[in-house]
Amino acid sequence: MEQLTEINALEETKRLPAVKRSIWREIVKQKYAHMFILTGMLIVFVFHYLPMFGILMAFEDYSISSGIKGIFTSEWVGLKYFKEFVSAYNFNLIVTNTLAISLLKLLFTFPMPILLAIMFNEVRHQLFKRFAQTVSYFPHFISWVVVSGLLVIFLSTNSGIVNDLLKGLGLTEKSLPFLSSPNYFWGLAVTTAMWKEAGWWAIIFLAAISGLNPSLYDAAEMDGAGRLRRIWHITLPGIRGTIVVVLILAVGSLLGGGLVGSNFEQSYLLGNAMNSERSEILQTYAFKMGLAQGRYAYATAIDLLQSIIAIILVFGSNYLSKKITKNSLF
Amino acid sequence: MHRRTVEDRIVDTLNISLLVIIALVTMYPFFYLIIVSFNNGLDTSLGGIYFWPRDFTLNNYAKFLSDPKWLMAFGVSGLRTAVGAAVTIFFTCLTAYGLAYRNLVFHKFYFSFFIVAMYMSGGLIPYYVVLRSLGLLNSFAVYIVPGAVTIFFLIIAVSFFREIPAEMEESARIDGASDLTIFFKMILPVSKPLIAAMGLFIGVGQWNSWMDSAYFVNKDSLRTLTYRMMEVINQGMIPTDLASAERAAAITGVTTFSIQVTAMVIAVIPILLVYPFLQKYFVQGIMIGSVKG
Repeated sequence: MEQLTEINALEETKRLPAVKRSIWREIVKQKYAHMFILTGMLIVFVFHYLPMFGILMAFEDYSISSGIKGIFTSEWVGLKYFKEFVSAYNFNLIVTNTLAISLLKLLFTFPMPILLAIMFNEVRHQLFKRFAQTVSYFPHFISWVVVSGLLVIFLSTNSGIVNDLLKGLGLTEKSLPFLSSPNYFWGLAVTTAMWKEAGWWAIIFLAAISGLNPSLYDAAEMDGAGRLRRIWHITLPGIRGTIVVVLILAVGSLLGGGLVGSNFEQSYLLGNAMNSERSEILQTYAFKMGLAQGRYAYATAIDLLQSIIAIILVFGSNYLSKKITKNSLF
Repeated sequence: MHRRTVEDRIVDTLNISLLVIIALVTMYPFFYLIIVSFNNGLDTSLGGIYFWPRDFTLNNYAKFLSDPKWLMAFGVSGLRTAVGAAVTIFFTCLTAYGLAYRNLVFHKFYFSFFIVAMYMSGGLIPYYVVLRSLGLLNSFAVYIVPGAVTIFFLIIAVSFFREIPAEMEESARIDGASDLTIFFKMILPVSKPLIAAMGLFIGVGQWNSWMDSAYFVNKDSLRTLTYRMMEVINQGMIPTDLASAERAAAITGVTTFSIQVTAMVIAVIPILLVYPFLQKYFVQGIMIGSVKG
């Protein structure tokens, strides 16, 4: 049967018009290009596509000793693990934390880079402007591990600088337990993500602002518009397109923490037994269940729930973007 | 120049003051790390060091360099940075060269293949199963191989290669050069800016990463610098018995805390050193990478 189709295919190439036959000639001519691409595809297939098949584990009684093959041979259990997760005692808590941290980050960390870019743009002293900007995006390149280390040092209840400062200013009498009380975690996550990433994202908005036509500002000034009115009526409307595109990116990656990312890193590195009721999120829970406790199928089900939400967000925001701005990512 | 109005003065003063505060809040933590790393650890634990080392010492660095655990981690991080950057640059550029080929047959299919992989993932556990089945767990290769083709940089490299004038390649082809020769002898040499940019970004990513060391490795000899730091931080968050640590520190003045800070400085310094070079490239990088629509 296979031979037959092969022969048929051969026959067909003979009968094909010159244009189609030349495709094969093209491929032969481009053989190295195709070989290069196939090399890359092999790597991407193994490390990106194979794990996608692994999603099946979420519906199976999977055991790690059965390896990749087990993904296709394990016993099907349907929605067992999803049901188990939904009825877990901490389900509400984990979902609330995940959504709350993500939404708070979108709400507070999204406007910050825009504001920062406008502030940089308003500086007339070029050297200071460059200095301030250069400093602002340095933390982007620093590992979350180092940033968490800094937080532990600065927020310590015993001679941490932040508590020293608060006590010195008379704002608090006792040291505030920033890292060991659940009440501070959400605020901490948002603030530190902003500290680390606002300067980085300001770059893109500053680039958009510097693309605006300077004569607009001159004309507005002639008409008697002050600095703030020029910002409101020229700068902001001028970068609206960029703002929308970046907002869509942020919504698409909402559960990871949006623009500033890092939901997992923060909860993993700064979460502990004392603040877990506010710091435990889907990603850290899946990690603990899966790699730490060896409940692979259960963890995959939790991961999958999150991926589904993420995909809906990516496509949803892309669709909205197409509608509103005619801009889309794919 | 324009006459400055009252509003101008107010806006400028407020703006500059705020930016100065932001710059201070951003830089001071790193400055603090540096001064503490040069201060006697026992003295540091008394508190009150804000602007300059009080009891200057190099012992923290000496201890770091003589502690096999930290030194090993430093070596692993350095090695994965160098090897990881080289391997990823090579395979990503190779694939990108193919994808940038003019009149490439199947190019729609190829591009969809890579773009889908950029947006979809199977999640941590299935990924772990794949690594386990390939025997990559507990090996140095787990830091290098999975990221050998990085799709983000692939897209940047394709758009870079497309800018290279076609005549260059064509004349080489007329002289009988094959694609292999063209790629190695011609494309790679003219792509120095691209390679430099990729090297810096991938290098920084490799240097900073700790998750793969936490997930996929449990051999001491393969732990990275950031992983070791994470261990110390995790212990430090919950107050422990300080007395025993301090007894051990009595002679050298090096405490767990002071060596942790030193490790943090050592983790930050390489980034500080390449920062001016990073800066040169990333504005275009972030533009291509995030708003290609």
